[in-house]
Parts: sequence; C-alpha cells; structure tokens
Amino acid sequence: MNDALKEAFGQIRAEQALKEDTLSYLYKQTNGYQRARAAVPYYRPLLSLAACLLLVVCLGLWRAWFTPVSVISIDINPSLELELNRFDRVISVEGYNEDGQTLADSLSVQFLNYQDALEEILSSDTVADCLARQELLSIAVVDDDTQRQEALLAGVQACTAGHGQAHCYAADGAELEDAHHAGLSYGKYQAYLELLALDPEITPQQVQTMTMREIRQLIADLSASDSGIQEENIETSQQGSGPLEQGNSPGSGHHYGQGGGHHYGRSAE
Amino acid sequence: MRSEEEARRAIDQYSDMVRRLCMIHLKNYADTEDIFQTVFLKYVLSSASFESPEHEKAWFIRVTINACKDLLKSFFRKNTVPLDQILEQPAPLKDRHREVLEAVLSLPAKYKDVVYLHYYEGYTAPEIGHILGKNVNTIYTLLNRARQILKETLGGDTGE
Repeated sequence: MNDALKEAFGQIRAEQALKEDTLSYLYKQTNGYQRARAAVPYYRPLLSLAACLLLVVCLGLWRAWFTPVSVISIDINPSLELELNRFDRVISVEGYNEDGQTLADSLSVQFLNYQDALEEILSSDTVADCLARQELLSIAVVDDDTQRQEALLAGVQACTAGHGQAHCYAADGAELEDAHHAGLSYGKYQAYLELLALDPEITPQQVQTMTMREIRQLIADLSASDSGIQEENIETSQQGSGPLEQGNSPGSGHHYGQGGGHHYGRSAE
Repeated sequence: MRSEEEARRAIDQYSDMVRRLCMIHLKNYADTEDIFQTVFLKYVLSSASFESPEHEKAWFIRVTINACKDLLKSFFRKNTVPLDQILEQPAPLKDRHREVLEAVLSLPAKYKDVVYLHYYEGYTAPEIGHILGKNVNTIYTLLNRARQILKETLGGDTGE
C-alpha cells in the first residue's frame, strides 16, 4: 500500500498557473516586496513623536497640577494652610496646631477651588464658633507673583465678607519656610515676629496655642507699655471683651492696625 | 520581509506539497488558490528564521493545514463537489492512482493528514505528532485505523 499511495500522491502537482498567480499576488500585496519599508516613513515617526508629545504634555500637566504656587494661611485659633496649584485648586491642607490638624482632617476640600474651600472652612463648626466668639480671623495670601497675589486676595476678601472680623493681606513667600521651620503657619508666624520684637522671650511653641486675638492683644499691650501710653491701655482694657489667657499686662483692648500695616476689622468695611 | 528570490524558491520547493495538502482538505480550485496566497504571503511577511530545511518544511505543513482548517470553518465554504473535480489535474490521472486518491479523500478528515505525511512525505509517527502538535499514541492509532479503512476500500491489491 505504501508504494501505491506514494505513487498516487506523486501525481498531484501544483499547476504552473497556480504558481505564477501566487507570485503575482505576492508581488502586488507586498508592493513589489517593499511593503514594510514603504509603510514606515509616513506615520511611524509621526506616531512616535505624537506619543512623546502626549507624554510630555501629560507630565507637564501632572507637574503643574501638583506643584503648589500659592499658600493661603488661615489663622483664628485653628491654624491651617491651603496649598494651591496654578489653577487655584487646593492640593493640600496642613494643620499647624492641634485644632488646625483636627480641622484639616475633618475637611474634604482637596482639589476644590480656593474660594469654595474657604467657604467650607469658614462655615465649619470650629471656625464658625470662633467667629461667633468675636475671635480674629487672619488670612494671608502668600504668592511670589504680584498679579496672582492681587487676584487671590480679592477672592479671599470676597469670601470673608460677612464672616466677622477678618484681616486679609497678601505677602510674598520669603518667610514661608522660616514659618514652617518654626512649626507655625505663615499668618501666625508674622504675628509671632511682631510679638518677638516686643518680647524676646516669647517662643513659637507659646504662640502656637494662642488665638490670634490673644496674640494681637499681647502685642497691643506690650506696645502700649513700651511707649508708656499706660492710660490708653487701661482705658482700652476696660472696653475689652474678655480677660487675657496669656500676657504680661492686664486688659484685653483691641489694638488692630498695629504691626506692619495690618488692617483688622475688615467686616466693618 | 523576505525577498522575491526567497518567495520563488519557496514556491518551487513547497508548492507541490501545499497543493497535495489542499487536495486532501479542500473542495475546489478557488479555495486552493486562496490557500496558496495565504500560505506564501505569510511566509514572505514572516520574520521567522528556520534552523534547517526540515524545520522550514514542517512550518509550511503546519501553516497549510491550519489555513485549510480555517477556510473550512467558514460557513460559505462548506459546499461539496464531486471527487472528479477535486482530482482535476493538467495530466489525467491513471485509473489506479485515481482509485487510491479517491480512497484517501473518502477517509474521515482526521486521518488524511497523517496518511499523507506518513505514506508520502515519509514522516514517522513521533515526527507527525511533533508537527501536528498531537500525542504520538494518537498518531499511531490514527495511522492503524486509516490503514484498515484503506485496506477495506482498496481490497487486497494494496496489501502492505
């Protein structure tokens, strides 16, 4: 059977026309055996370039989104800072004292526009209670770009209108690192520096737990005693709204407007 | 991509074998043309390098059988034609060859490849198992059953 099968299969041959047709087909399909090379020059380099560009754009956007360019320091007694990206979105919230950390943990303002975030913070129970007690709210906008500073400050002022006594101001970031190094938010660090000029013994740790009202009051008291305006101090303290928890002179009068051109009592404006 | 010279050499060398495998599986000349185009285009576009001529031949067998099976899976290809048409050749076949080939074509599909590869190409059962990706014992079984069927069909004059 082997031979019969072999002999029979041997009779089957590929027709010449079949071979020639196949060769023609191959020539046509491969564009004269050049298909791979002909197809490459047009789109493959462009695709690679487009992919690289896309990658660069994505990395750029990612970096721009997660790079902080501005800081909003909010101090009342909770002290916290919002870091903003160039799109004015909140990319991080950092508490700078125990109350601040508790408040920061309770907030969900990540990636919100700074005004929405500020509204949420001001309407939070902790801050609303402080404002109800006539505590002082200090908001510092820290940005090296003057134009952004102004725009952000205007936005912040719009948010704080109608939220009690608020002091909003803008500054560049020169002392931001020093503030963080001292464990203080930017706004509280500025107040600490004013206080330090009057009382070299004061430490950042002491300031950290004080409310802005207490710090301001202490500054006012020390300034008054330094300049010998004792009478005014006594008179002011009689009009104050509460006793000092920390300080070296009696009275709790409000001396806003002292210390580097800060303007308190914006809500009255 | 391979050159035109390589394509010509492959067609000269393997076209008869591909044609026989097509004859075993397919029902008409148009399908055979399709398979030729598919198999040799795949070869030209393939960047596979072969260790030896045997390796290359086994590649053609495997690709051809798979292409035939893929074509037969198509609903529209499942038509049947008389054996005469399948066995159409430029030179008419002698009666005894025609009888043997008709017996092979009448076998169930699973026996045809092993019969061709063993009786014509001279592959052993382990080699066929390797090429077709099947167990060697399965190949032995298929060969034995095919042999029995062919004996019954062709009678005593082809006794092995």
